[in-house]
Amino acid sequence: MTDVPAVLPEVRAAFDNHLAHADEAGATALALGLLRSGAAAEDILLRLIAPAQAAVGARWVAAEWSVAQEHAATHVSERVVNAVAAAAAGSWHPGSAPARRVVFACVEGERHTLPARIAAEVLRLRGFDVTFLGANVLAPHLLSHIHRQGPDLVCLSCMIPARLPAAHHLVECGRRAGAPVLVGGSGFGPGGVWARTIGADLYASDPAVAAEMLALRWPRPPEAAEPLEHLADEEYFRIVRQRTELLGRLRVHVLERYPWLGDPGSQYAEAVMEDLGRLPDVVAAANYVDDPRVLTDYLSFGAQFLRARGVPTAVLGAALATLSERLRGLPRTAAHLDAGRRWLTAVGLGTCTPDDEAGTTGGPGERAGRDDDRGAGPTGESG
Amino acid sequence: MTDTRARRPASDGGGQAPRRPGRKLLDALLDLVDQAVVVCDASGVVLWCNGPAAVCFPGLRPGITADPAAAGPLGQAVVASAAAFDAEFLGRRLTGRRNSVRDCSVWLVSDDTEVRRCGAELRAERLRTAFLSEAGRRLGASLHHGRTARSVVELAVPALADAALLVLPPRGGHADWHRCAAPGVAAESGALPASTLERVPQLVRALSDLSPRLAACRPGDLEGLGGATPPDPGPGGESLVTALPGGGGSAGALVLFRAAGTGERPVADSAVVSEFAYRAGTALSAAALYAQQAHTAAVLQAGLDPAPLPEVPGVRLGAAYRPAPEALGFGGDFYEVESEQDGGGGVRFSLGDVCGKGAEAAVLTGHVRQSLRTLALVETRPLRVLDVLNRSLLEADSGRFASLVVGAARPAGRGALDVVLAGGGHPPPLVLRRGGAVEAVDVGGMLVGALPGAEFGQAAVRLARDELILLYSDGVTEARGGPAGAEEYGAERLAHDLAGCAGMPAGAVAERIELRVADWLAGRAHDDIAVLALQSSPPSRLSPGASDALGPPR
Repeated sequence: MTDVPAVLPEVRAAFDNHLAHADEAGATALALGLLRSGAAAEDILLRLIAPAQAAVGARWVAAEWSVAQEHAATHVSERVVNAVAAAAAGSWHPGSAPARRVVFACVEGERHTLPARIAAEVLRLRGFDVTFLGANVLAPHLLSHIHRQGPDLVCLSCMIPARLPAAHHLVECGRRAGAPVLVGGSGFGPGGVWARTIGADLYASDPAVAAEMLALRWPRPPEAAEPLEHLADEEYFRIVRQRTELLGRLRVHVLERYPWLGDPGSQYAEAVMEDLGRLPDVVAAANYVDDPRVLTDYLSFGAQFLRARGVPTAVLGAALATLSERLRGLPRTAAHLDAGRRWLTAVGLGTCTPDDEAGTTGGPGERAGRDDDRGAGPTGESG
Repeated sequence: MTDTRARRPASDGGGQAPRRPGRKLLDALLDLVDQAVVVCDASGVVLWCNGPAAVCFPGLRPGITADPAAAGPLGQAVVASAAAFDAEFLGRRLTGRRNSVRDCSVWLVSDDTEVRRCGAELRAERLRTAFLSEAGRRLGASLHHGRTARSVVELAVPALADAALLVLPPRGGHADWHRCAAPGVAAESGALPASTLERVPQLVRALSDLSPRLAACRPGDLEGLGGATPPDPGPGGESLVTALPGGGGSAGALVLFRAAGTGERPVADSAVVSEFAYRAGTALSAAALYAQQAHTAAVLQAGLDPAPLPEVPGVRLGAAYRPAPEALGFGGDFYEVESEQDGGGGVRFSLGDVCGKGAEAAVLTGHVRQSLRTLALVETRPLRVLDVLNRSLLEADSGRFASLVVGAARPAGRGALDVVLAGGGHPPPLVLRRGGAVEAVDVGGMLVGALPGAEFGQAAVRLARDELILLYSDGVTEARGGPAGAEEYGAERLAHDLAGCAGMPAGAVAERIELRVADWLAGRAHDDIAVLALQSSPPSRLSPGASDALGPPR
């Protein structure tokens, strides 16, 4: 990895410009031009496309770009990865030993395929025999691939912690079928802390690190994993059973306070309601790995997301309070929700405390008015 | 307790208690004790010992010195003034403990031979059980034949042998082998010509045997196997061959190599080896059967999966396909796009939905797609194509029918695209106009393959630059989910979400619609989903040379 050519800022700016205009032909020509002029395919993947795509995500969170723009740009990035991978295919140097077989999959409900796709191509460039199963892979699909192809390793990508229960399902599926499992992606938390919780054999923070870890030592055939003891209290399953009801409650309460979020003509209303609708899954996932950081991680994202869309961040506190009320009988979950509220307070967003919620007897209008007054402070319209 | 006993001879000697047991009775009583009891004076001379002591230490009698010659480990302990010993003596496992009573040493010695033997046997049995259950778990984990073969040799080392070689039944003139050459080393594999197997009669027998019998090979017997042979076990070592009996015959031959003097293998008795051989054979033959069937299924499925979209200048395409999850990739929806062969630069396309799902529906989609391809060679009028297809499906008498849209798109200059459509019984395609307006294109028509003489509809649309037409199956609109969990995604929501895609390339639109439906479903069961989007393809907004002009990376 010495004398790595960095991607020039003006090249990156040109690439960003192609993404902004969903200009597939231009973006592809740029990347292939770099490859022809001697840049390593891995560098194009990891130092041009990956950071450009991270910036695309950030522009969407900041409401600078619409969902459509973000989606179109992602599509273009994917096509460029295809083109770079195809063009670099001739340059592999397979060693004398047969390549290790690796299968890549994004966990169920995971739609962010690009990071996994880039990781898969990096391992392919480094001589592994790679199969990419794509987005939203369910256990039967993975299992039938394992039985048919007998991969030496399963690589799982999970970008959002709310999908950790699904990730655990696939980890178990791979390991029980005798294949060790390597996981990666921001969904596994800071330093991959939840990768260990759900029993993955290896965690890698980026594709190059993964390749180096595997070159150093191949993981042993998996032993049977310990079950997640904390799930014995059944709280997780009770949250999942109540999901539809929780979503309904959440919707009603949020709309009582912020009626404009129910207006289909309002620019961000749908996106905001959709984002809040992820909260029950987030709470369930926090319960699943028994770590309130899953929830605070979501709140931190939600605060940015809402602020950029001119929505009072107090809506987060209100949403937590709604769930607390419904999930009162579940001690572990209640503790997580408390931790979430404490986090909101600590960062100055805790405008709706549980005591307010429980103590007040006023109607929704009164409460909504009070929240709006307080919520107006930290909130700013996006540019 | 020892104090009490030791006191008794003394008080007895005093003669003050006529009803106390006499010396003889006391001897008899102490003979009933399981332990050997030996009493020595301070100089190590035996004063007294009971019956069991005479059994453990045949040379010991009162009056002689308890030295190593007469009393083995007890003698050593006495000489060394040790407080305890634990040693083997004359085939018995003896543990002794010294108690001091006044100036005498009273040794209590237990014969633990039986206890130790039971303990060792229990441990060995536990190891055997653990080995076989680990073997069962790993052999049952995968249905992949190569992986199972690797597990067989990796499990055998070091539990059963120092190295193991698995030779699979020869096929096509070659026999595959898998080998684990040393504990902890990853398995290797290769193939050898079937003819070389003939040089090792034990292997030939094991590859046709139906029961696991361990047969020893002479040194050198296995040299004919060339590269497959693991390191020679060396002088005093042994090579044993056993069949791995599978369902319909031997699933392979396992050769176990054991070097001399590598210690005991409590697990490796012949009962365990033959149990392991049965399990390995069963797993290998199940995996071989699965491989055959999976291969058949994969070949059939490859013929039924949507083909990759063609690259056609002037037309941009996008598609998404998601079969019902329980069908393992087989679906009743299909789409197909082929570039026109007349040089006009357009495409012909179709998207349809055969009733039902899974493999049964997939077979009929194959029929429909093949018919459409063939008909395209002789007939260009779409209504006529649908009519012939209708008759063909009715004659096949499968009791199944399809909804279908077929069409053609060709560039009409200045970035426009002319699209003609024909179909029957299918949800109306949607056109996304510039600026985000969405129009449904009513094609009309009746289901294909349901009724003789069915009538089909047709329609035509012109798409300006950046405008797009979306074809979809009813798996999209009928996806049940949403906040309440049972609401249909519906045509209105589809139109709304499509409107949000204005300005996106066709590929991204197809992905986006599929994503919206998947979010709506939130993991619930669903029918097959197929989406196909077409739009005219503008050239890159930057001149092609612009990116090269930026120069090489630094």
